[in-house]
Amino acid sequence: MNSSAVTMDQRKIEGSLRGYLILLLLVVLSWGIFKILTPHNFGSFNNMLSYFQASLIASVGAVGFYFVMVMGMFDFSIGANIMLSAIVGCVFATKLGLGYVGLIIGALLCGCLAGLFNGSFYVKLRIPSMIVTTGLALIYESVANYIAGGVEQTLPAGLRVFGQMPGDIILAIVAFIVAYVFLNYTKIGTYTYAIGSNEFVAKNMGINVNKYKVLAFILSGGFLGIMAVLTISYGSSMVAVTGMASMSRNFIPTMGCFFGVAFKKYGIPLQAIIIGEFIINIIFFGFIALGAPTAIQDVITGFALLIIITVTTKINKGEIVK
Amino acid sequence: MSEVRLEVKNLCKSFGITKAVKNVSFNINKGEVHALIGENGSGKSTLTNMLTGIYSIDSGIFVLDGEEIHPKNQVDANNHGVSIIVQELGTLSGLTVAENIFLGHEERFVKCGIKNTKQMIKEANELLHSYGFDRIKAQRMIDDYNFEDRKLVEIVKATYFDPKIVVIDETTTALSQEGRNELYKVMDKIREKGNTIIFISHDLQEILDRSDTITILRDGVYIDTVKSKDVSEEDLKRLMVGREVTGDYYRSDYGSKVSDEVVLSVKDVSVPGLLNKLDFELHKGEILGFGGLSESGMHEVGKAIFGASYDRTGSVKLSDGTEINDIPTAIQHSIAYTSKDRDNESVVLNQSIMDNICLPSLDELADKRHMLSDKKLRDFADKFAKDMSVKMVNVDQFVSDLSGGNKQKVVLARWIGKDSDIVVLDSPTRGIDIKVKQDIYQLMDRMRKAGKSIIMISEELMELIGMCDRIIIMKDGMINGQIERSESLDENNLITMMV
Repeated sequence: MNSSAVTMDQRKIEGSLRGYLILLLLVVLSWGIFKILTPHNFGSFNNMLSYFQASLIASVGAVGFYFVMVMGMFDFSIGANIMLSAIVGCVFATKLGLGYVGLIIGALLCGCLAGLFNGSFYVKLRIPSMIVTTGLALIYESVANYIAGGVEQTLPAGLRVFGQMPGDIILAIVAFIVAYVFLNYTKIGTYTYAIGSNEFVAKNMGINVNKYKVLAFILSGGFLGIMAVLTISYGSSMVAVTGMASMSRNFIPTMGCFFGVAFKKYGIPLQAIIIGEFIINIIFFGFIALGAPTAIQDVITGFALLIIITVTTKINKGEIVK
Repeated sequence: MSEVRLEVKNLCKSFGITKAVKNVSFNINKGEVHALIGENGSGKSTLTNMLTGIYSIDSGIFVLDGEEIHPKNQVDANNHGVSIIVQELGTLSGLTVAENIFLGHEERFVKCGIKNTKQMIKEANELLHSYGFDRIKAQRMIDDYNFEDRKLVEIVKATYFDPKIVVIDETTTALSQEGRNELYKVMDKIREKGNTIIFISHDLQEILDRSDTITILRDGVYIDTVKSKDVSEEDLKRLMVGREVTGDYYRSDYGSKVSDEVVLSVKDVSVPGLLNKLDFELHKGEILGFGGLSESGMHEVGKAIFGASYDRTGSVKLSDGTEINDIPTAIQHSIAYTSKDRDNESVVLNQSIMDNICLPSLDELADKRHMLSDKKLRDFADKFAKDMSVKMVNVDQFVSDLSGGNKQKVVLARWIGKDSDIVVLDSPTRGIDIKVKQDIYQLMDRMRKAGKSIIMISEELMELIGMCDRIIIMKDGMINGQIERSESLDENNLITMMV
C-alpha cells in the first residue's frame, strides 16, 4: 500500500515537474531562436526582465479569465473591459482626485461590474457567453468613449508606480496569490472545476451553477480591472476606441489562458499562464528586434502559438475536442 | 412488525406526454434492503431520482420517518438522510478524490472563506481506509483512477455520513465481481446499522440473494410488494412482465455445427497496455463470446475489430481480404459495434430516436440526388424501433428521455436497420430487464440462423454459456483459454480460466 502511495505521489511530482520542464524548454527555445537571429539587440538579461515585466500585465487578466474558461464559457469583452476599467480608474484617480485608491478601486469595481453584467446577462438570457460578451463589448466601448469624452485619458506621472518595478511586480504577485487561493483554497475553485467537468452532476450536488458562473465572470472582471491598472500605468494613457477595436486586446490574455488550460493536467495552470505569457512576449519582442513587418509578425506569432498549444496540450487519443 | 422508514404516497411524474410514474404508493421499512424491480421504463429510476432530488415531483409526497420531504437536489436529499449511487459515472473530473467525496459538503472545512484542503484530504483518507479502499488516495485527482475505483469513491461519498436511505441504482452491473463484493459488504454494514437500502438491479438472482423485500413496478404503476423469501425468480418475472415469460431464454440447441467459412480473421492484434497478440477467427453464423474479468482487455477486443482502437497493430481482415483499420471501413463492410459505455459511445443523447437509428444508414436512405426524405427516415426509424419494442412516444422523442434499456434497444435497432453481417456486441444486456434480455437473445439467435456472425463480449458468464458457440476467455490482454458450446458447461469452467 505504501509503495503505491509513494508511486502516486511521485507521479504527481513528476507531472508538475514535467510541466515546468516543458515550459522552461519553450522559454529557452523561443529565446534561443531569436538570439541566434538577432544576437545584438535581443535577449540580454535586462531585455528578458523587461519582457517578463511586460508579460505580467496580461498574466493578471489571464489568471482571472481562467475561471471563466475552465467552466466552459468564453469572454469576448476582455479588451473592452480593460479599456473601460482603465478609463474609469484614471477618472477616479485624476478628476475625482482619489489618487492611487481611486485608480485601483475604480478599475477593480468597474471590472467586477462588467463581469457582473457579463455573467448576469449570460445566465438570464440563456444565450451563449460568446454572443453575450460580444454584444456587451460594444456597450462597454461606447460607455468608455462617453466617460472619456472622446479624449485620450492620461495618467499623471505621479500615479504610475504600477507601471514600473517593483510596483507592477508587487501588484501582479498579489493578484496571482489571490487567484491561487481562490482556485485551490475556496469552494469557488472546486466548483469551477466541478461545473467545467459536468454541469448536470454539479447541479445535482446542490451547487448553484448559475451563481458560480456569475461569480466566475465577476472574478475575471476583477482581475481584468487590475490588468487595466497595470496597462494604463505602463502605457501612461488609454484611448477609448469603438467599433470592436478593443478586441485586439483580447488576444494576449486569451492565449495565456490557453496555456493554463493546456497545463491544467500537470497541476500548474496559473504558473503556466504566467510563463506562457512570458513566452508570448519573448516571441513578440523577438520579432520587434528582427524588425519584421507587423503582418509577418502576426502570421508567425499565430502559427507559433498554435504549434506550442498543440504540442503541449497532448489531448488523449479519442478525446473529443470542440 | 417493522417500523416504516419511507412512505411513498400517490407519486406521479410525467415527461412531456409520457407518464413515467403513475400514482405510486408503497412503504419501505427501517433496516431492510428493499429491491425495486421492473422492466426498463417501468419507473424505478424516475422514482428514486425524485427521492434524491434529481427530478422534481409532479404530485404526491415522500414521508421520511414521519416527516414530508421535498429534496431540491442531491445535497438537499443528503441533508434529509437520503443518498444515491448511480449506474453511470457520478464523479467529476478535474477534482481530487477528496473534493469529490465532500462535494457540496465543503462548509465544515471552510473557515473565513478559505478551505482547509489538508484537513479535507486527511478525513477523506480516513474514510477510504475505514472502507478498506486504501489503494485510493484522497489527494490524487479522480482522473487517475479507473471506472471501478471511481465507483468505489462514489460508494464512500454516498454512504460515509450514515444516511437513513441509500439508493443503489443498477450499480452492480458496472462493477466486476470484486467491486460487487465490496459493495455488498457496504450494504451489509448499512443494514446492520438499521438503515435502509433501495436496491435496483435487473439481476433477479442477485435481487433474491441480497434483498429482504421487493416492490414491483410495471409501466410506471405499482404492482406489488413481496418478501424475497416467499418468491422465486419465475414469480418475479411474471410480476414484472404481467404474464408468464414463456419460450426459451437462451439458445436451446447444442451440437449444431458452425460453418467452416471464416468471415473475419484477427491476427497478431495488439493495443499497448490493453491487448497482446490476439489471434482468432470468426465463422459465418457463429456467436463467438469473449469473457474475463473487467480489466482483462475483453472490452478492447470489440473496439479493435471495429477499427476504434488507437495504436492498434496486427491485422483484422475480412474473408475478401479487406483490412479493417478504421470505423468508416468497418461500417462500409457491414460490421456493427455497440459499446459497453452506452451513453458516451453508442447513442447521441440529445438527438431524436429517428436520428440515432438512421445515422449509419443515411447513404442508403438518400435518393439519387443525395437528398433525404423526412418520411423515408421516419418510416425507417419507426419500423426498426417498433421491431425492437422501444417504449417511446414517437421517433421524434429525444434519446436522453429514454430508460437505459430502451436506449440499448435504439442502438440495436440502428444496426439491425443497417443489416450488418458482423455484429460486435459489448455488454448488450447491461442494465436491461428480463423481457428485453430475452428479446435480445432471440434476436441474436435469429441473426445467427440468418448467417450473421456475432461477437458477444460480456461479464455475465451465464449469457455467454447460454448464447455462444465458442467462448474465448481473456486475461491480462491475452487469450487464456477457449471453450466450445456444450450442455455440460458451467460457470466454474470459465472462472478457472479467468482468474
